Amino acid sequence: MVQVGKPAPVFEAAAYLNGEITRVKLEDFRGKWVLLYFYPGDFTFV
Amino acid sequence: MGAEVLAISVDSPYSHKMWQEGELSKMVPGGVPYPMLSDPGGKIGRIYGVYDEDAGVDIRGRFLIDPEGVVQAMEVLAPAIGRNVVEMIRQVKACQHVRANPDEATPAGWEPGKKALTPQPGLAGKVCEIWAPEEAF
Repeated sequence: MVQVGKPAPVFEAAAYLNGEITRVKLEDFRGKWVLLYFYPGDFTFV
Repeated sequence: MGAEVLAISVDSPYSHKMWQEGELSKMVPGGVPYPMLSDPGGKIGRIYGVYDEDAGVDIRGRFLIDPEGVVQAMEVLAPAIGRNVVEMIRQVKACQHVRANPDEATPAGWEPGKKALTPQPGLAGKVCEIWAPEEAF
């Protein structure tokens, strides 16, 4: 379960960025603020 | 805005590419500048409590994670409800303010430049002397 004040579960995922397909790990963002947002699907509003 | 943005849905990276090239790049010059992650089967969404088993999609959950990897804010909306980007940015600023000023708290409606409060025993029952509800709007 995700709770405020508790560590965010880490994950790794394939990602699309700037024309490339890459991999993203949440741990790679340590030291930065991260806004992670889920959305129901491409071609919907975000 | 002082935070790295990660978007994530159950769609494949190729679908993200199609959306980016076919539509998003027409709304945002050059397309959205942050990674669009793929969560096939909603594995990650399930861990975050936002995977809808019936619809097979990740619903609109948003999590603000601090530099130590700790969740500082979260919100989940029904699929038909769009988010408030201005409010998301305000929450980032408020979390960053409190991190930089650990003695302070940001009252309702706080924005950069508005008064923050310093919780302490002497403040109990006296917030009305230094803060007015109008400041929440």
